[in-house]
Amino acid sequence: MSTKDTDAARIDVSGLAKSFGGRLAVSGFSLRVDGGALIALIGANGGGKTTSLRMLAGLIAPDTGTGAVLGCDVQAPQRRDRARIGFMTQRISLYPELTVRDNLVFRAAMHGLHEPAKCVAQAIADHGLGAHVFSRTAHLSVGWARRVQFAATLLHAPPLLLLDEPTAGLDPVTREDIWVRLAALAAAGHTVIASTHDLMEAERCEGVILFDSGRADAATTPAALCQRAGAATLDAALITLARATAKAAA
Amino acid sequence: MKRIVAIARVETLRLLRTPAAFTLILLVPAFQVLLFGAAIRPQGGEIRVAIAAPTPAAGAQIATRLRAEAGIRLIGNVRAKGGAAAAVRAGEADIAVEIPLVRSMANPFAPNLPVRLVVDAANPALTEAGVALLYARYWQEAAGRSEVSVPPLVVERLFNPQARPDWPFLAGLIGVTMMISMVMLGCLSLAREREGGTWETLLTLPGGRLTLLLGKALPYVAIGTAQGLSVLAIGAGLFALPTRGAVLALCALLPLFAGVHFLIGYAISARAATQIAALQGAVGFYLPAMLLSGFLYPFETLPLWAQRIGLTFPLTHFVAAARDVLLRGAGARTVMLAAWPMLVALCVVGALAAWAQTRRVD
Repeated sequence: MSTKDTDAARIDVSGLAKSFGGRLAVSGFSLRVDGGALIALIGANGGGKTTSLRMLAGLIAPDTGTGAVLGCDVQAPQRRDRARIGFMTQRISLYPELTVRDNLVFRAAMHGLHEPAKCVAQAIADHGLGAHVFSRTAHLSVGWARRVQFAATLLHAPPLLLLDEPTAGLDPVTREDIWVRLAALAAAGHTVIASTHDLMEAERCEGVILFDSGRADAATTPAALCQRAGAATLDAALITLARATAKAAA
Repeated sequence: MKRIVAIARVETLRLLRTPAAFTLILLVPAFQVLLFGAAIRPQGGEIRVAIAAPTPAAGAQIATRLRAEAGIRLIGNVRAKGGAAAAVRAGEADIAVEIPLVRSMANPFAPNLPVRLVVDAANPALTEAGVALLYARYWQEAAGRSEVSVPPLVVERLFNPQARPDWPFLAGLIGVTMMISMVMLGCLSLAREREGGTWETLLTLPGGRLTLLLGKALPYVAIGTAQGLSVLAIGAGLFALPTRGAVLALCALLPLFAGVHFLIGYAISARAATQIAALQGAVGFYLPAMLLSGFLYPFETLPLWAQRIGLTFPLTHFVAAARDVLLRGAGARTVMLAAWPMLVALCVVGALAAWAQTRRVD
C-alpha cells in the first residue's frame, strides 16, 4: 500500500479548543505531523481524545485554534478532503443488514475507487475476512465487526488515518495484528493518529499526546512522558500524572 | 410490590425525560382536539345547487324556497332544460334540479316527466345529505299542494351511481398510504443512521448533501410509487374502483408525490435526535395533512382558514386529482394542475432538507 502526498505537513494545528454547552471538551490541542507519523492519543475517559479526532476529521468545527489538516483550514470542516481521510469510529459503524462484502462495496463506491470489486477482494484477503464475506455484519462478533470496519477504513488507502480506539473490545491476537498493520502503514508513509486506553499499544508509537480533563498536552515521545512522571512505564506515568492533576485541582 | 413500584418509577422518569414521548402524550391529543373542535364539520358543508326549468317563472319559485334552506347555495340563475345537469358535469354544482314541463291547463299535452335530481356522487359524504334534504322538501311541498298529479322525483347519480362510499376513500387512500409510508421512511432515514452508529462514518465519506439526499430518496420513491400502484390495482380489482380518466397521468404523478413526502420525512429526520423523535415528527405532519386534505371529511365542509392550511399539503391536491380522474373521468390537465403545488413543495422541502442535514456532529 503506498500513498502520495505533497502537503508540507499533513496535520498542522495549534491551540484547538471545543466546548459543548459550556463544558470544556478539549483545549490546547496542537499537533504538527508529516507523512509516516504514528501518534497515540491517551488519557482518561472524557479527556477529549474523540473530540480532537473529530475536529481533525472535519466532523466538528473548533471554537478556537488555527491550522490545517491535509492543507484545508481546520476551521472550515466542510472543505476537508474526505477522500484522503480514513476515519474509524469507536462504535461499530457498519450497516448490520448488509453482508461484509456489501459494506465494503459501499465504501469502495463512495470513495469512487477504480476496480472496486478488485479492491474489495484484496481487502477481504488482506484482513482474513474470507470466511465471513457473505455474513451479515449484525451476525458478526464485535471482534470480527471491528476487523471489517478497519478494512473498510483502509480500503481507499488514505494518507491520513484517524482511528478512535481501533482495538477496543478485541482479543490480544487481533490487537497485535491491527497494531502491526498500523506500524506498517506508518512505515509506508501514511499518517496514523489513534486513540487508545492500552498503553502498551501507545508505547509502540513515536509520539503520544496525553489528554487530561479536556486539556491536551503537547505531543511527546512515550519515553519523555515516562521521564516527566518519573515512572518506569507509560501505564505508571499516566496514573502518576492523573493523580497529580487531581491533587492540584483539589 | 417494591419491584413493581421501582419499575413504575423508572418508566415514569424515562417518560418524563423523553421529549418525544411527552409530545405523544400531550401535544398530539391537544392538536387533535383543536382540529376536531374548530375545523372538522362532517355535515356542515354547503351544497351547490343549480336549477333548470322550462320557464324562468317555474324555476324562480323553487329557487326562492331553496334559498331559504340552510346548507344550500344556489348557483347562478335558473337555466334552460339540461343546463343544471351540465353544471354538475362541469363541476360547477353538486346537485342539479331539472324541472320538466308539468301537465296543466296551459300545457294539457305535456308528457308526465319526473323532476330529476342530478347529483355529483363522486363524494357522497358531501352530496347525499343534500339529496335527502331536497327529497324531503319536495314531498313535503307535494303533500301540501292541491294538484292531483305531482311529477315523481328521480335521483340520477353521476360518477358513482350506487353512491358507494368506499370509492372516494379508495381513490384518496392511494395518496394517504403513500404519504404515511414515505414520511415515516424518510423520518427514519437519517435518524436510523445516527442511532445505528453509521452517521459519523457517512459524514467522513466523500459526497455532498445532494448526493446523500438523492441516494437515500431514489429507492423510496420507487417503493412509494409501487405502493400507490398496488393500492390502485387492489381498489380496481377487488372493489371495482373506476379508472375513467387520465389514469396514466395520475400514475406519472406518483413518483413526484412520493418524492415530496420522502423529503418531508428526510427534513424531519435531519433535525431529529432519535428515531422516536423523528416518528413523532411524522405523526405531527401526517395527522393534520390527513384531516385537512378532504380524505376523511369533505374539504368543502372545512372553515376557510382550515382550507387554506389544507391547501399547503400535497395530499389535498392529490386526493382531489385522484377523485377527479378516477371517478369523474378528468383528463391530464387536472393532474397537471395538481402537480404544480407538488413541484413547488418539492423545491421548498428539498432545499429545507438539504439545509437541515448538517455535515457535522456538533
